[in-house]
Amino acid sequence: MSAIQLAFLLALTGTFAAVTWFAVVVVRGAARSDGGAHPSWALVRRLGRSPDERAELNRWAFYLHRLTGMAIFGFLCLHIVDVSAYTVSPSTYDDLHELYGTAPMRLFESSLLFAILFHTLNGLRILAVDVGDLGQVPAQRLLVGVVAVTVLAGAAGTALIMAPVLT
Amino acid sequence: MTSLGDPVRPRHREGVRHAAAPPSGARRARVATYLTVRLTGLILAVLVLGHFALTHFITDVADADAAFIARRWGSALWLAWDGTMLTAALAHGAAGVWIAIEDYTADPVRRRRVLAVLVAGTALLLALGWITLAVAILD
Repeated sequence: MSAIQLAFLLALTGTFAAVTWFAVVVVRGAARSDGGAHPSWALVRRLGRSPDERAELNRWAFYLHRLTGMAIFGFLCLHIVDVSAYTVSPSTYDDLHELYGTAPMRLFESSLLFAILFHTLNGLRILAVDVGDLGQVPAQRLLVGVVAVTVLAGAAGTALIMAPVLT
Repeated sequence: MTSLGDPVRPRHREGVRHAAAPPSGARRARVATYLTVRLTGLILAVLVLGHFALTHFITDVADADAAFIARRWGSALWLAWDGTMLTAALAHGAAGVWIAIEDYTADPVRRRRVLAVLVAGTALLLALGWITLAVAILD
């Protein structure tokens, strides 16, 4: 492994750590505003309620939106730096870019795809809610659509991304 | 301006500014942030998904090497695509993180410091990205 590849992997690990720390901040904020120190138990109890009472799904979407946003922003920062290796020399870039084709990085790229899909579709949903002045029921129906398309398109994309290292 | 996607704002929760509406300067800033996030988000929905599809589905990621970049950046269209994407993505991300910092950092001194780091870091990355594109154009 070359020095630049090692530097990239260290930076990626640092990004992971920062995003994980941010996730803790978001979850603790959620626990505060959702009442109580045990959001997991509260969630389990709420899942038994009727769908009409589950307006909080919009809130879970908000937390997930925030988390995927931070994760994508973290990768964006790293990606701007790694593409700038092209300015040093094309071969420096190629050296660094070899990592992107490895199986673990492809797995990371697949999860990045899921994050981008959810963040994009949910962002468009929020825009539709604001512009169309939608109420909670249509907003929640749209959310089901957002999750469904994220899972289906994400799975299809993952198959395409992973195929070269699986066959 | 608060939408369904926006739960209880911590500022209200902690009762700091419960009754009074924010001053008009702060409100203008919030409207500007809101519009920045929505407009760049709309642009990025096309540019980022297109970029991901190009570098992972249309071309396999292992083949998206320096030669691939050289070919792409030989065209003004792709330079415009990447330049717009770079600027819009950083503006969108920084505006989003700005909102998150305002939500989670109660201490005003600390908040100002963290926001300054965000702005400086974003400006640095924007400069680095545009230098990368400029070098490719000049070559």
